[in-house]
Amino acid sequence: MNQEELDNRLEEVTGRLIGVERTQENRVYLLCESEDVYDVCRFLFSELKLRFVIATGVDAEHCFEVLHHFTDDECGCMVTVKAFVRDRENPELDSITPLIPGAEWIEREIHDILGIAFTHHPNLQRLILDDDWPEGVYPLRKEVQR
Amino acid sequence: MNWKMWSLKKSVWVFHVNTGACNNCDIEIVNLLTPKFDVERFGIKLVGSPRHADALLVTGAGTRQAAVRLQEVYRQTSKPCVVFCMGACACGMGIFEGAYHIAGPVDKIVKEVDPNAIIAYVPGCPPKPEAMISGVVKALAAI
Repeated sequence: MNQEELDNRLEEVTGRLIGVERTQENRVYLLCESEDVYDVCRFLFSELKLRFVIATGVDAEHCFEVLHHFTDDECGCMVTVKAFVRDRENPELDSITPLIPGAEWIEREIHDILGIAFTHHPNLQRLILDDDWPEGVYPLRKEVQR
Repeated sequence: MNWKMWSLKKSVWVFHVNTGACNNCDIEIVNLLTPKFDVERFGIKLVGSPRHADALLVTGAGTRQAAVRLQEVYRQTSKPCVVFCMGACACGMGIFEGAYHIAGPVDKIVKEVDPNAIIAYVPGCPPKPEAMISGVVKALAAI
């Protein structure tokens, strides 16, 4: 799949998105609400056969952003699904681990340090924080950092 | 010099402890032990258990998870022993100072177990193998 074909296929999913940003020719951000993230990721992974690279969690003050990065290794294009988790009190997002087992650890890590609960995750145990770290304290949240 | 000190300085057997290092200091320590620098010719030998060791080579800033393990390893090391803090992180936490996951520095963690612990510092990011050899020589000359 070349860049043009990929762009055409990405058109199919725009109905689920709240916006598309393009910072470079081969760097696309698909902005979506948290309830659509699983379907958008399933489309990229299962239909377009993109490779899941990694996920990123960001505390953006008014909401959390979870970015799932996918890449098409044929054309070198990176497609990022940016999901906004707007409920700061009980942040929840659908896990993509049932679809992509490789996402298990990064979702556990994001849960550890930002406190985002990934629903339908098979094993949301503590991964990187030490064993006696207090429950409910998420070190990379802005209020803890201050 | 009593016989314990003599036997410590004659041939230092070291046990390597990583308390959250990025692996760069660890690679330099491997460099120290392999044929290029070959510290075994000075009697410095890597051993697999702290119970056989005279010295601990500690790398890393001392994470909260590793701190209790380091203290347990220190308790098991036969005394007298020397603790070598290898690298900027082990000496003074380096860039990780003030981070949420750090319990260090290493000297503070060790001194919680034994306030009179013999601690030597080799700064650098990572320290050169020559600096590590120099640090060992200076530490052994000082005790």
